[in-house]
Amino acid sequence: MTEAANPTKASDAPPIRRNRPAEINVLIGLIVIALIFEVLGWLVQGQSFLANVERLRIMILQVSVVGIIAIGVTQVIITGGIDLSSGSVVGATAMIAMSFAQVSTYPRAVFPALTDLPVIVPIAVGLGCGLLAGLVNGLLIAHTKIPSFIATLGMMVTARGIAKWYTKGQPVSFPTDGYAAIGAGMTPVLIFIAVAILFQLILRYTIYGRHTYAIGSNEQASRVSGINVERHLILVYVVAGLLAGLAGVVLSARGLTAQSGMGVMYELDAIAMAVIGGTSLAGGRGSIAGTTLGMLIFGVIISGFTFLRIDAYYQEMLKGLIIVGAVVLDVYRQRYRGRN
Amino acid sequence: MRKLLLGAALSALMTGSAFAQNIGVSMALFDDNFLTVLRNGMVDYAKTLDGVTLQVEDAQNDVAKQQSQVQNFIASGVDAIVVNPVDTDATVALSKIAADAGIPLVYVNREPVNAAELPANQSFVGSDEKESGTLETQEVCRLLKEAGKTEANIVVMMGELSNQAARQRTQDVHDVIATPECSFMKIVEEQTANWQRTQASDLMTNWLSAGVQFDAIVSNNDEMAIGAIQALKAAGKDTSKEIIGGVDATQDALAAMKAGDLKVTVFQDAAGQGQGAVDTALKIAKGEKVDSKVYIPFKLVTPANVDEYLSKN
Repeated sequence: MTEAANPTKASDAPPIRRNRPAEINVLIGLIVIALIFEVLGWLVQGQSFLANVERLRIMILQVSVVGIIAIGVTQVIITGGIDLSSGSVVGATAMIAMSFAQVSTYPRAVFPALTDLPVIVPIAVGLGCGLLAGLVNGLLIAHTKIPSFIATLGMMVTARGIAKWYTKGQPVSFPTDGYAAIGAGMTPVLIFIAVAILFQLILRYTIYGRHTYAIGSNEQASRVSGINVERHLILVYVVAGLLAGLAGVVLSARGLTAQSGMGVMYELDAIAMAVIGGTSLAGGRGSIAGTTLGMLIFGVIISGFTFLRIDAYYQEMLKGLIIVGAVVLDVYRQRYRGRN
Repeated sequence: MRKLLLGAALSALMTGSAFAQNIGVSMALFDDNFLTVLRNGMVDYAKTLDGVTLQVEDAQNDVAKQQSQVQNFIASGVDAIVVNPVDTDATVALSKIAADAGIPLVYVNREPVNAAELPANQSFVGSDEKESGTLETQEVCRLLKEAGKTEANIVVMMGELSNQAARQRTQDVHDVIATPECSFMKIVEEQTANWQRTQASDLMTNWLSAGVQFDAIVSNNDEMAIGAIQALKAAGKDTSKEIIGGVDATQDALAAMKAGDLKVTVFQDAAGQGQGAVDTALKIAKGEKVDSKVYIPFKLVTPANVDEYLSKN
């Protein structure tokens, strides 16, 4: 595959070739999967899979909320950590934010005195809750030195508990038009793109980015070279929490409802997107561009399955196989390149 | 030793209030809208009764956790147990544990697999799941006929595949279509959206982009029906003309019906089931005879009678 993609022989290639961005491989994977669906589409359904604007839109739209989380999760994984709390934080922030976004005409509002508020209020509340959850994660990990797996596992359980407790399990619905607009049409995709570009640039060109990669590559060396590792880790988890909060706002606006079960398993989808996109769970490697491609693979698969009318029972099995298969392929490619 | 003493002290405390009725309740999960209405129905009803206290626990969709909760209830000497089963196939073990301890057990909402052979002091309170999907599909069938269709394509949105209600309601759709009156209906698509609104919205958009042609949508629950409505609206379709059916009669669904989008839903009396479960548990605890199945009926909700249900669930 490497040689086919490159006309010059591997042995002639300059050493820099080895540093070809991992994203290219993911992009190839995405194209291959899409083409498989395209071919099967013509064979089975007699129509094109890709030449359909509506389908291309839904492919991205249906994964954009998890994509927003994945941008934060990617940064956490690059530092060598993990964030299991994002799905639950989405559920909790969706509930809390939505309760400040209800219309006065709905008689069962959570806060009857606080309806028809300007849209900035629920947004600020949602982002604030996400930020707070991230801050707790970060403080725990940086200062008590417990593994991020445990700290964020605790937050995962706690945040889900908050989501259920907040209205005693009742859904929160009927938002104002302003709030609904956040999730209307392709707005979630636009929000995702804006956030993705922002963090792709930040990770690549700022000190924040360099420190993130440095800590993930070698925490001890980073410390010795003068990076305030604790402070930086807190910042990374705050960013991840903030993005989970944003995802909660977008998701509830999209569904016009907040439910305590929202976002279940999103954290694992987000981690899978990052890993498929070339982010190494060992830390130090990964990018937002890669994660975005990983996210698109998810979107293509979901739409492709429905398009091919694959039986609902087989869909999950196949999805699991594709996740593992994609990462196995990547590992082999890394090893192959490492030998050259 | 200290633990033992503490345990003894606690159990002494519990038996101290001998005339009061303590009921342990294990719910399959808390973060489910319908089960929340049911749970609140139980709690609110118990508050109106003298000396009845409920201890409600969340099994978080975990069969093993639910079993431990039941064992803990027995160990703490409750007078009766109400279980909303996580898995309707895992109830045999629960029935045996309660029967061995001689404590009354009432299953609520989800019909246990051993419903036909429950011991004397056990019962099932719920609705006949077969009714819901049947009522829904028959009404969709009627609406299609009313619209003058002689051939109709329908799409089916299923709940979680592992869930008995999802399987039953989907089977109901097939059963209704198998009757001569509704045999003009044909299922062209049948997929799961896991009871979720956004997933259903995405599924519908995927169907639309695949050019699926349909005359009606039959959804296993309201949330998914609403998701389908949102997707149709986003695609610029006039949802007031589409025939869309759900089950549950949630607040959101009734609002969608008032807005003219949802045409059919089925009301399952969640609070009534909760109240029925508490009543049945108390009856068994007092030594009264009860039926092994206590059914709370489903009701069809259409734009014609929607107002009666606005304040119910």
